[in-house]
Amino acid sequence: MSKSFSYVLEADGMQLAFGERRILSDVYLRVETGQVVGLLGRNGCGKSTLLQTVFGGRHVADASVRVNGQRVVPAYRKPGLLNYLPQVPLLPEHLTLMEAARMLGVDAEQALANFPDIRAQVSRRIGELSGGTTRLVQVLLLLHAKTRFSLFDEPFSGVMPLHVETLGEMFQQAKAQKGILLTDHRYTEVLPLCDVVYLLHGGRLEQLPADPVLALRDRGYLAS
Amino acid sequence: MTIPTYLRALGLFYRTVAPFTVVFSLLIFAAAAVGPFPTWPLPLTAGLLLTKLGTFLVIWYLSAQLRPHQYWFYLNLHIAPWQLWAGVLVADTLLFSAAVGLLHAVLQ
Repeated sequence: MSKSFSYVLEADGMQLAFGERRILSDVYLRVETGQVVGLLGRNGCGKSTLLQTVFGGRHVADASVRVNGQRVVPAYRKPGLLNYLPQVPLLPEHLTLMEAARMLGVDAEQALANFPDIRAQVSRRIGELSGGTTRLVQVLLLLHAKTRFSLFDEPFSGVMPLHVETLGEMFQQAKAQKGILLTDHRYTEVLPLCDVVYLLHGGRLEQLPADPVLALRDRGYLAS
Repeated sequence: MTIPTYLRALGLFYRTVAPFTVVFSLLIFAAAAVGPFPTWPLPLTAGLLLTKLGTFLVIWYLSAQLRPHQYWFYLNLHIAPWQLWAGVLVADTLLFSAAVGLLHAVLQ
């Protein structure tokens, strides 16, 4: 993967409604390599649906996903382009951590270098790890996979505070290699990481100003 | 996606649907042995293979209902669901045919 060449992931044209409820209607999303992009919004507003649609795991009519202007639908079929962490457990329980890393093309030792307690468990099966450790491992493996973009749906969910801090630093390091799109309700941890923040509300995606805190407070997404 | 990665992924996926395919294969054997029109040992015919292939629709439905999120890992390996099911269909039908042929050879 060339570091000097920048890649731009764009998504738009998505129309999705469940009955009368409009989930996605006016969406334009842009992520560049070298950026961490935050996608915020209330529960059930369509954040996960949007990530899944960009990844290609969910078919939405008229969805257009492009990389450097070239259409890539479904994007997951293009090796080395992007990966996606869903909210639900990703890795098969009977795989060992080492096997999972190998299948994803990741050096497990390198990916877990900042977490010696987890690195000591590489030969254990995923199903034997605690929920928080499993979540952290999934994030680390996808973060270290050689893809141009990584999409994370609630990467900090269930991860203990000490590891969240380290993980935040790793997101910052990883963006030198790729573009990152993430959504999480832990705004305190997410906002400092983000170069760009989008808010999904009523099916519309709005890019917030450079300092998004005030805008989020005005819209009732932050209490103080 | 490399061939070894696909085969490893296929093995993992097959492991999750194998309980269903085994149960339906046994049901076919049982119907042949003790059903209203017993045909034992079971001959390997086009009708039998079509019956076996038909069970995959039910297995696909059950799998989708019971494990709706099972594909995310494979999508991250650039493998589409149809590629997994195509592999399972071929592998399981071959195993079933081999079992029928073996039974036929042993019992006749």
